[in-house]
Amino acid sequence: MSSDPKRRPFILRLAFAVLATFAISAPAFAASTTYPLTIANCGRSITFDRAPGKVVSIGQAMTEILLSLGLADRITGTAVWFSPVLKQFDAENSKIKRLADNDPSFEAVVGTGPDLVAAEFEWHVGPSGSVGTYDQFSKLGINTYVAPADCAAKDNTTGGDGVRKEMLKTEVIYQEIAELAAIFNVQDRGEALVARLKEREDKAIASVAETRVKDIPVVFWFSSKEVDGEAFMAGRNGAPAYIMRALGAKNVIATNEEWPLVGWETVAGLNPAIIVIAGMDRRRYAADDPAIKLTFLNSDPVASRISAVEKKQVVVMDSQAMSPSIRLVDGIETLAVAIRQFGLAK
Amino acid sequence: MAGLTLAIGLAVSIGEIVIPLRTIAEAIANRMFGTSFAIKPIHEGIIWDYRLSRALVSASSGAALAMTGAMLQALLRNPLAEPYVLGISAGASTGAVAIMILGIGSGVLTLSTGAFFGAVAAFGLVSLLAAGAGGGADRILLAGVAGSQLFNALTSYIVTTSANAEQARGIMFWLLGSLSGVRWTDVLLVTPIAGGGFVICMLHARVLDAFAFGTDSAAALGVPVRRVRLTLLGLTAVMTAAVVSIVGSIGFVGLVIPHAARFLVGPAHERLLPATALIGAIFMVLADIVSRTIIPQQVLPIGVVTALFGAPVFALILYKARRPV
Repeated sequence: MSSDPKRRPFILRLAFAVLATFAISAPAFAASTTYPLTIANCGRSITFDRAPGKVVSIGQAMTEILLSLGLADRITGTAVWFSPVLKQFDAENSKIKRLADNDPSFEAVVGTGPDLVAAEFEWHVGPSGSVGTYDQFSKLGINTYVAPADCAAKDNTTGGDGVRKEMLKTEVIYQEIAELAAIFNVQDRGEALVARLKEREDKAIASVAETRVKDIPVVFWFSSKEVDGEAFMAGRNGAPAYIMRALGAKNVIATNEEWPLVGWETVAGLNPAIIVIAGMDRRRYAADDPAIKLTFLNSDPVASRISAVEKKQVVVMDSQAMSPSIRLVDGIETLAVAIRQFGLAK
Repeated sequence: MAGLTLAIGLAVSIGEIVIPLRTIAEAIANRMFGTSFAIKPIHEGIIWDYRLSRALVSASSGAALAMTGAMLQALLRNPLAEPYVLGISAGASTGAVAIMILGIGSGVLTLSTGAFFGAVAAFGLVSLLAAGAGGGADRILLAGVAGSQLFNALTSYIVTTSANAEQARGIMFWLLGSLSGVRWTDVLLVTPIAGGGFVICMLHARVLDAFAFGTDSAAALGVPVRRVRLTLLGLTAVMTAAVVSIVGSIGFVGLVIPHAARFLVGPAHERLLPATALIGAIFMVLADIVSRTIIPQQVLPIGVVTALFGAPVFALILYKARRPV
């Protein structure tokens, strides 16, 4: 691959970042929303007559976007948490009612009297959502919004974490931020947030623009039910795949599933140069603890011979950075730092 | 035996990474006979630590599950009896799920230990219930059905109230059976249990023949019915619990393999038990090869393979052995 086609979007991104910086310094220029506002969302069309006064957020990534938009006072309930909230929102979040750590019941959601239910995953709120369907909510006059990241070219009917047909991109996260900002009539905050994230993303990408090794083979290991057993590795189209592609690395796992189970013989055969392991506070699967993952990598007769392990090119990344969320940018930064540290960038 | 050796040979040779046969032989020679052929450590690890241990656990588990099926069918005089009917598998699942989701004893107890205790607890409960109901083959079956329902309900309760979607998928995979993560320590546990179980089964081959004619006939032949039934039921519980705790809940093998063997060698247990064990072993080794190679880069639960591929094979045997109308 020549470097030219890669450089062009980089220049475009830089130009965009410069423009975005202007946007931050001049928030007064951001348009305010004209209601009724109609947007296309996950194959439906949803209309808002006014900015929602109360919103229930189902899904940690969704909650953190709403908090980033300064909407804490409008959130009447949250649910589906994987790890602690982003540090800067600790205080605000502690005042918001947590309806459930996992799926909340329909009545618990409705009970807080929301105008809008915003969900991170279609399997919670969707055509056959486990919390409630679009129809159930709309019959009670409650609008529903689902993160576009969970339905853009993604099939959620297969069970599990779904199958992604096209690669997830940060663009879809930025789209989500812009849409939510428009819905709540805080477009200036949305534009500023997107600009900040884009700037960080571009900076991380630029830091490894001159990678010595092109298409560095990488795998992302989330967890395993048994430490010695097959591992949940990132499929080729999810958030980790985007992190890898953005930085010129290559995901050696080639299936469309979000988190397929892959055997260690397969991983050894693919011989990745970098192994990214997920760090998380959850302790439910045997390999949730990153220390346990590292011990396995260093002691297993086969895994310990993979070149990433032999050369100590293993990096720990927060699990939230591996999901379609604003933390995806943290993931890009973490891997970029690792590529430089391992001497794979000039 | 040649068939089993061939199946294990295939299991060691087939995998995601292509390794030449010569290297495979050299790796095994290095470990077994202390030779020092120069081969890549990663290849030696894959052959010895991954594929061979996995093949031996598959073979032992298949043999053990099939034998327990054959024993239960004779003891309970019911062609539909299998290890799972006694609630053992349901109990094992509850035990494993309790550890996986509720985190009971996590850090100290492994998933397998949880499954083992769950299995033994379920069997104990079912035995008490059956004894309280007056004993007898039909009461044991009924108590087993009740026990299974109870433990399945408990598992579902824990999953629906405490697990998130990702965990639920992981549990489903485990409940369908998986040989992932099997290593030599598992071989050292399950192979002696299968071997010991086989010896005890064979010592009771004639008694099992007598049971097939009913407990009255067995008693008339001088068989201590209660004691033998208790011993052999206990043996099936231990064998199933050990297998389920290591490879998860694999259906089909215990139910169908004894019938397949009966079609091939007849109902006399002296021949039926070895045939059942052997066919069970070969079947599981082949099913495992399919489970880990059918989807590139991914693994299918072995329980899906045993049923998807086993059912048509069984249908074929049924058809071939059809009675003249």
